[in-house]
Amino acid sequence: MDSLLLIPVLLPVLGGILLLVSSFREHRRTEGKRIFAGGGQGLPVYVCTVLGFSAVAALGLAWTGERTVTLFTLLDAIPVYFHIDATGRLFVTVVSVIWMVTAVYSFVYMRHEGEEKRFYGFYLMVYGVLVGFDFSGNLVTMYLFYELTTLVSMPLVLHNGSREAIMAALKYLFYSMCGAYGGLFGIFFLYRYCDSLNFAPGGTLSLAAVQGHEGILLTAIFVMLIGFGTKAGMLPLHAWLPTAHPVAPSPASAVLSAVIVKSGILAVIRVVYYIVGPDFLRGTWVQRIWMILALLTIFMGSMLAFREPIFKKRLAYSTVSQVSYIMFGLWLLTVDAFSGALLHVAAHAVVKCGLFLTAGVFLYGFGATRVEELVGIGKKIPKTMWCYLIFGLALVGIPPTCGFVSKWYLAQGALQSTVGIFSWLGPVVLLVSALLTAGYLLPVALKGFFPGEASDLAGKEDALRKVPGSEEGDVFAEDSPEAERLSGMEQKSENEHVSGEAVTESEQVRVKEPAHSMLIPLMILAVLAVLLGVFPGPLIQYVSDIGKMVLQGTIAG
Amino acid sequence: MDFVQNFPFISIILTLFSGPLCSVLNGKQARRVNTAVIVADGILSFLVLGYVTAAGQPFVYRMGHFSAPWGNEIRVGILEAFMAGFFCVIMLLCMLGGIREREVQIEEGKQNLYYVMVNLLLCSLLALIYTNDLFTAYVFVEINTISACGLIMIRQTGRTFEAATRYMIMSLLGSGLLLLGICYLYAVTGHLLMSNIREQVRVISATGQYHISLMVALGLMSVGLAIKSALYPFHAWLPDAYGYSTLSSSAILSSLVSKGYIFLLIKIFYRVIGFDVVWESKVVNVLFVFGIAGMIMGSLSAMKESNLRRMIAYSSVAQIGYIYMGLGLATEAGSVASIYHVLSHAATKSLLFVAASGLADASGGSDRFRDITGAGLRNKLAGIAFMAGSLSMVGMPMFSGFISKLFFAQAAVGHAHKMFPTFIALAISTILNAVYFMKTVIRIYTPMQKKEGVEGEAETGRAEGRSIPIWEQPVKSAALICFIVLNLMLGLNSDPLIRLIQSGIEMFD
Repeated sequence: MDSLLLIPVLLPVLGGILLLVSSFREHRRTEGKRIFAGGGQGLPVYVCTVLGFSAVAALGLAWTGERTVTLFTLLDAIPVYFHIDATGRLFVTVVSVIWMVTAVYSFVYMRHEGEEKRFYGFYLMVYGVLVGFDFSGNLVTMYLFYELTTLVSMPLVLHNGSREAIMAALKYLFYSMCGAYGGLFGIFFLYRYCDSLNFAPGGTLSLAAVQGHEGILLTAIFVMLIGFGTKAGMLPLHAWLPTAHPVAPSPASAVLSAVIVKSGILAVIRVVYYIVGPDFLRGTWVQRIWMILALLTIFMGSMLAFREPIFKKRLAYSTVSQVSYIMFGLWLLTVDAFSGALLHVAAHAVVKCGLFLTAGVFLYGFGATRVEELVGIGKKIPKTMWCYLIFGLALVGIPPTCGFVSKWYLAQGALQSTVGIFSWLGPVVLLVSALLTAGYLLPVALKGFFPGEASDLAGKEDALRKVPGSEEGDVFAEDSPEAERLSGMEQKSENEHVSGEAVTESEQVRVKEPAHSMLIPLMILAVLAVLLGVFPGPLIQYVSDIGKMVLQGTIAG
Repeated sequence: MDFVQNFPFISIILTLFSGPLCSVLNGKQARRVNTAVIVADGILSFLVLGYVTAAGQPFVYRMGHFSAPWGNEIRVGILEAFMAGFFCVIMLLCMLGGIREREVQIEEGKQNLYYVMVNLLLCSLLALIYTNDLFTAYVFVEINTISACGLIMIRQTGRTFEAATRYMIMSLLGSGLLLLGICYLYAVTGHLLMSNIREQVRVISATGQYHISLMVALGLMSVGLAIKSALYPFHAWLPDAYGYSTLSSSAILSSLVSKGYIFLLIKIFYRVIGFDVVWESKVVNVLFVFGIAGMIMGSLSAMKESNLRRMIAYSSVAQIGYIYMGLGLATEAGSVASIYHVLSHAATKSLLFVAASGLADASGGSDRFRDITGAGLRNKLAGIAFMAGSLSMVGMPMFSGFISKLFFAQAAVGHAHKMFPTFIALAISTILNAVYFMKTVIRIYTPMQKKEGVEGEAETGRAEGRSIPIWEQPVKSAALICFIVLNLMLGLNSDPLIRLIQSGIEMFD
């Protein structure tokens, strides 16, 4: 028993609830948007304190040995309990890093979305729930937190309260519930056919009980994986992702795409490697169908992203495709591919979070939602665009970024595996998809830095200012109160102007980098994306140890 | 004979006589008497439960010491005592939750009549649970029907008259079929006491005589009780009866009255016909099919509703479907799951009704969807309670709904023919539940958009919402909190309960 484990789960949840019911002052601005006020920094300080403390607790507990705590017993055979193991440790680290970085970013960003109290209340709660999810020690606990993740992250999606957002949130809810039921369906079966529902590397399937019932068990596992695949945007039930991401505020889409989608991955890892066991599934039709689905999703996601003009939606499709890389890796059932999959979990989390936060900068600073509107944007926010370029390269998989390492391992794992046609078809699809990824991400940076002759940047900016109907048009209206909060940006650009660093040739194009608290998270993520690519050694060692443990049953020293 | 063995009879007779007593008291006094009686019944039932658990075997209480063929008997096992106690708890909470509604909605001078009805209803429920005599059961089924009609009709609006009439017609049809079934059974076996019929049925089914008559009797009784407990497609009376009557009435009707009949049916299966005969018959398949149809159709109808309470009422149809599906599985595990679901649904549905009325209070008394927008923000406790009830309905672990789904599924796993239909129905129903309950939860937490100026006022008929602090209606708040705690207890502490149900079923024999 180690009750300390409850701290990182309960603290953010309670902190979030406290924030929701508290009376932090929000006051009404003229344009009807609620903006956190009070001159003080109460809300950011509060959120940072709660989040920081929980994250330190989560990481501190996760990295200091295996711990177990039983919360209560639902039934005699089904306790709800937490147990930290190597996989959970990796996931909880990813969650915590992404969560902290995004929190810092969103303090400024969320001012224009309003209702910050609600946002941060749920933001904190989702963190606690996700930590609980990563710490779960058995299938039912995991299911509990899986459902809770859906429920508490839904308010993040419907944040702006428009009809479109609510419909998107309902769609998200509907898909996730369908998926969760698929998972539950499998749990009912596994409850009968497994020695226990507690996670153990290599699986707990009771071969004696399964004897003669393989067909039905495989069906159940398949349904279960389809269900958990919903969260990860797998093919049959992926449609919620491109709907929910664009309407959610950018920090919300960032964490949704970077982390919450990964909870589907963790669920699949738990089922395949910790409950059923890879040996039972190797060479079955479930494995084959899953590979086909994963490869289809990779290809289709990339294609859809390629032809999608709305930037955030493009990123959402890209998530659909990238997360299926991980699925593909998981289903090869070899150590290298498993390592590649886990590496890609970390890499994709960092990169996709960064990309969505960049999209947030476009949206916040320029009201740009469509790709065409980003032409020439590199001149105005060069630092942000450089970060974007790094993220783009990382997602495509160009060395020395993190995407290269993970894809290398995925491809290697595929080539080594004995899955017939897939061992070469997989890498081919990965390559094609990488090309498509380059095709949909890099031109944005290219056009951003080199808009060409036709573009009239100053004119475009003015036009944007005056469009009354445009969503973010008021951001630039000088007389609106919104302008005040942008003053940070303005001053900064002047400073740079004086120092003459950034703007040399085109005097008329003003550099309008976002505030430091938005830029620095982006830079941290960019640095992380590079660092993970340059020094991947320890991480590779770590994940391949997990791989050996779950696949070969040996614990490397 | 221990003195405790008198308690079941005392609790029935106490409630029966407190009914007429209430008719000469004024409203307030009647309310006190009623509360005291419910509490006393609850205490007595739990004492009996303790006694039976300690004894480890059921006891038979003969009225006036007349023995079998002529006398009337009460037979109490663990499950009966627990059911009685649990029903008293739910009844008490429902009555507490609806105090203010009753004062407003029931005419002055008729308040005490309400308590007459409630006492008679409780009396008949207790008698249905305890009795060992089929004909006595029928008599109390009728008393139950009459008092339930009264409960619906006492809020005197056109809708409730219509609803009560409908309820009356359907219910009488049900009782008629039940009576017919009992007559057949009497003709075949020559007994009315459950234990004696059981013995005769054993003999008959061993020789293979009267097989058809026996099946006809079983079918008639099953359909009769199914009509009375609103199994789809006999549910037409339900939405109006639950949707328009006063709050305590709808909560009691949905959580207790229909459950009383279901419990009687389970008793008939186990104690009268014998489960071995019932499980082999085709009747269970019919119940299974209609149960599944109810699960899906009830949810579909609930989705279409634009009125919160009617939505909850339709969701009852779906939940009753679950119970019949469990019975239809024709295994002991299925029956255990059904009985657990009886408890779980009783706790959840009454919670939802009381919470819904709290939301309506915060929306100018209207429970149409467009009016309750943001009501969860105005009446915080009711909002939380509604969310808890919804999560339980959707099947979130930690709430009772999850456990009952788990048990239904467990009962179905490995069943030769009924596994996949059960799973598919559970899946569809879970998802539909999620859709309409979560939709409502989102709505009650969406702040009402302030319409500007003239337009807002032009929109007539829109009820004006106001915020209600927790302490404004302390009794209702307390009832809601108790309901939430009860739900969590059922969800978190289900193991002892399941063991209790299992040993209770063993005691049926």
